[in-house]
Amino acid sequence: MSVDTATETKRVFGVEVPQPRQFGASGGIMRRLNFGTGLIGGIGLAAIAGWVTAIITPSSASNDTFAPMEPTYVYLAVLLGWAIGFMLGIGAFVGPLRWVVGRDITHDDAEYMAGKDLGRARYWKYTTDHKVVGIQYLIATMLLLGFAGLLAMLIRTELGMTWAELFSPSFYNSMIGTHGIAMIIAMIVAVTGPLGNFIVPMMIGARDMAYPRLNALSLWLLVAAIPMLISSMFMGGIQDGWSVYQPLASQAPIGMLGYQLTIITFAISTAIASVNLMTTILTMRAKGMTWSRTPIFVYGIFAASLMGLYAFPFFQYSQILGLSDRVFNTSFFNPLNGGSVWLYENLFWLLGHPEVYVIIIPSAAVALELMPVFLRKPLFSFNFAVAGIVGVVALSGLVWAHHMYMTGWAPAANYPFMLSTEMISIPVGFLVLVAIGTFWRGTAWTRLPLMAIYAVIFNKMIGGVTGIYLSDVPVDQYFHGSMFVVAHFHYMLMGAGLFGAMAGIAFFFPKMTGRILDERVGSIGLWTAFIGFQITFMSMFVAGLQGQPRRVLQFDSQFNISNWISTIGAYVIGIGMLIFLAAIITSWRSGAIAGSNPWGSKSLEWQTETPVPLENFPVLPVVTERPYDYGVPDPYEAELDARDQDLTEKAGIK
Amino acid sequence: MSGTNASTLTPEEPEAPTNRPPSMRRIKLWLQRPYARKVLILTVLIGFLLLPLCWLLLAAMNQTGAPASDIMKDIEQTIFVFTLVSIPITAFVFAVLLYSLLGWRRVTGDEPPMQDSPAIRTNTIGVILWTGVSSLLAFFLVVWGLIELAQITANSYGSISADEQPGQPKSEIINVTGQQWVWTFEYPQHDGLTSDVLYMPLDRPVYFNVTSKDVIHSFWAVELGIKIDANPGAITQTGVTANKVGTFNVRCAELCGMHHAYMQTEIRVLEQDGFDSWVRESGGKKTS
Amino acid sequence: MSTSTLPVSPTTGEPITTIARRGRVGLWFMIVADVSGTIALVISYSYLWSLNVNGGWAPPGSTLTADQTNSTIPSDPKASFAVEWPFWAIFLVVVVATVLMWFGYRSARSGNHAGLVVGTGLSLVVSVAALVFQWIQMSTFPFGAGDGAYASAVLLLCASNIFHLFLLIFIGMGIFARARKGLINKSNWYQAQAASYYMTWVCIAFLLGAILTTFMVDSPNVDPAIFGTFKQQ
Repeated sequence: MSVDTATETKRVFGVEVPQPRQFGASGGIMRRLNFGTGLIGGIGLAAIAGWVTAIITPSSASNDTFAPMEPTYVYLAVLLGWAIGFMLGIGAFVGPLRWVVGRDITHDDAEYMAGKDLGRARYWKYTTDHKVVGIQYLIATMLLLGFAGLLAMLIRTELGMTWAELFSPSFYNSMIGTHGIAMIIAMIVAVTGPLGNFIVPMMIGARDMAYPRLNALSLWLLVAAIPMLISSMFMGGIQDGWSVYQPLASQAPIGMLGYQLTIITFAISTAIASVNLMTTILTMRAKGMTWSRTPIFVYGIFAASLMGLYAFPFFQYSQILGLSDRVFNTSFFNPLNGGSVWLYENLFWLLGHPEVYVIIIPSAAVALELMPVFLRKPLFSFNFAVAGIVGVVALSGLVWAHHMYMTGWAPAANYPFMLSTEMISIPVGFLVLVAIGTFWRGTAWTRLPLMAIYAVIFNKMIGGVTGIYLSDVPVDQYFHGSMFVVAHFHYMLMGAGLFGAMAGIAFFFPKMTGRILDERVGSIGLWTAFIGFQITFMSMFVAGLQGQPRRVLQFDSQFNISNWISTIGAYVIGIGMLIFLAAIITSWRSGAIAGSNPWGSKSLEWQTETPVPLENFPVLPVVTERPYDYGVPDPYEAELDARDQDLTEKAGIK
Repeated sequence: MSGTNASTLTPEEPEAPTNRPPSMRRIKLWLQRPYARKVLILTVLIGFLLLPLCWLLLAAMNQTGAPASDIMKDIEQTIFVFTLVSIPITAFVFAVLLYSLLGWRRVTGDEPPMQDSPAIRTNTIGVILWTGVSSLLAFFLVVWGLIELAQITANSYGSISADEQPGQPKSEIINVTGQQWVWTFEYPQHDGLTSDVLYMPLDRPVYFNVTSKDVIHSFWAVELGIKIDANPGAITQTGVTANKVGTFNVRCAELCGMHHAYMQTEIRVLEQDGFDSWVRESGGKKTS
Repeated sequence: MSTSTLPVSPTTGEPITTIARRGRVGLWFMIVADVSGTIALVISYSYLWSLNVNGGWAPPGSTLTADQTNSTIPSDPKASFAVEWPFWAIFLVVVVATVLMWFGYRSARSGNHAGLVVGTGLSLVVSVAALVFQWIQMSTFPFGAGDGAYASAVLLLCASNIFHLFLLIFIGMGIFARARKGLINKSNWYQAQAASYYMTWVCIAFLLGAILTTFMVDSPNVDPAIFGTFKQQ
């Protein structure tokens, strides 16, 4: 047994490092693989798999209800073929295979895979550099948001045209479902994807993520999942809302397979991304960055990753079970044969609620991160901010059944779940306190990122207060399944989540692209969208109060007015978002060049050059200060102290 | 140096006086600061502006004739109280947001401002006040909700034998079946009479057993304020006493497929005489 | 060479101890995700068991009533490779594989190269054997996927086991190959350690499956409601 001793060494950051044997040019087969070969692999394998399945499936194959099974098998094979072929073609399996055969990656290989000297081509490859992955995530998120936003416009058009039926009921239902799940996926990655990957390693003073190749894997799994989701629109669609409650979902056309495989793939992607981010945060912080010196944004990303990590498998398994019901004729959710619809609802909401915090906490953390910079004062009560995040994480897993108050699965469980749900308002209140405490007496530098935070807090208050109604079982007895719920969660997920993500992207834009986001155009877009948002969802609250159920395409004429107003507001949002998008695109191409630290921030990511060099920091930084050391001594406190001194002296107390 | 009001007492100098005034006086001094007063005044103003919401919400809910039961009345009362309780905190947060833009200085421009703001790292009194008040409010909401829920539960799926006691009006049992996309109401006490419109007697407790024959539906008697899912393979229960004669709505509140939007029907709450004659005309047995 | 005393990562130049620590943290998080998934399975199994919706839990020996489905459950559950004890047998086989992996890992730490290669190699072989057993068990059940909730839940547990075994075999192959090449050695053993930890967790997952299928067979709910009616069975 020959021990594969190092034959040569390489100088890596000033250390002589023995290298494994280099096979061929650096990068090996990865030199030839890129997004194009991924597409070829995916489409090729999908075609072959579908064709073979069609041949070997007997045309008589049918299920319990005598529906032919051939389309199901073929579509399943096509989707699996696509996912595996795409990942194969882009080179996702090269690393694991090299590990299994023991051909370790050399420093040159790693540098090639990180995109060194590849120019723009690195954005189209299985690139491991966290900055490239961050940008890729940003693009993927914006594409997904655009697709789902377009569906939202179509939905509102249908609901606004109360005199006509624009779409067939089944197509309308499938638009609702696709809009929902696409938005949920987009919002889950909207902050943790682009900003978590691009910013967090720099913020903690690391050179890259803990597992660079897993980082690329998580991104490309998401990319592989998107066509599956969109393809389902053409295979009958997801006609059952984003929650695809069983057994309705088992009645749905085969497009449901697209949903199920999307979720299964996306759950793997999320788990990998979460593990990566959390490990990076735990083990790679710069020397001296103790927990009290770690920026709050890092806490937020860590919390979101943790919740995603423990909660996503439940959702994933609910879809695996549903897929198995559909393909293998098992009966997890088929009540005729012993399956339970409540099982699905429980598994689904075991993710479904933590997922809300997966979306909200990062955007709250963005808000708290950038407020000190623009108000030039420290974060008010850092400990409370941390306590708020920890409290939300701790309670996140204990509240899922408040989505199930009205299902009757366990009426007695409504009491404890109402208790735990209303308890959430306490840690969330901490975060609000930190925000207003930071605003307190601050001189606001009213640039776009900070202004977006005003919008976020406004929306979050409304979302939070309406959430209190919904957490109450008797009130939920009226609101559950009505438009009120839709308006409430849009205030949380869009009003707080998306606007927070927009603030974050505006804030970190100079670091990510080297240019400043156009202040004027961006602000016009933001505030147009904000106004449209208020119009849309305020009147949707009214529709809910009047008693309009959600997910309907026709309704009593008493709801007409609120729906008309809602639709007008939705178009305003659409226009605002397009303006904001235009600001992003034009600024990215030709915006004003930003220095390395245009906001005068003190945290680590702004201390590097822009554009950021491959290794982030030529010399790893050492942290010696708390993260938000802005501000001057408080004049009032000085005055108070002086006056106090005076009084004590007068009273004769020495 | 704000917030570092840790006591300087050490075992060696037990007599050393602390340099900080007591909390109450600090609050009093704080209230003399102009911005503090202005924020509080703004809070009160915004609070009064928001106050009409308490009634506006209910006005929207009552558009089609609610409340038609005690349960719905309880729900509306809860919404009223919750709105009232949320207004002060919401108003305070909005006031701070507004004052931060209008009252405290603001700067624009491309360069980071030269002048930093006061470094308020924390404020013990403020933090304790906020935590105390928000916890108390949460506690109040929880207690209110729990009591309310216990009452409604007693009103809706209390045990049926209990109301056989003398003096109590006899209850009516209705079996509700949801299927794509119709509701069927069966009256087992009247020879299994069935109807696709829900007829209910006035002022008598009605208990619903609810199930489904295909997918999940949700039985929502809108103006009566009750809702329960109709699950395939399980029976769920709810109940209500209608206290208003009239025509109300049943809607399906859980997406149940293509014609979910059309899965609605009417509730007709009738006086006992009217209900009896409906039962007779439809071929059912008269209530004994 | 100046670096002979302290092994470093070839790609980043960090000491192997740093890489090992990072690897351990990541492994724990991966296990968290896997635990969640396994809990989802346990919830599915026990929830369906407790509800017995429409009398459809139907473990072997019971029959589904004719108006519910065309399928029937074999009346003789012990007719073929039966249901309960193979779960325990496969669990024991996996335990053996895990012990061998631990042996290999401990050998690596004490510098016993032969012990490392033998331990990891045998662990791989035993894992493959477990996969074969699991496959035989799954394909000889006296019921099919459509025969009620019990059949579904048990088959799902088996599928989860097979998934875990595939992972173990993949990991085992890598560890074995790397042990032979000397990439796992006295100063660089963290991958073998990670494999041992992960296999220990997989043993627990197998144990959970065995416990469920042994102690939760007949549903406690003996008079479930009949589907679509207000009557009980």
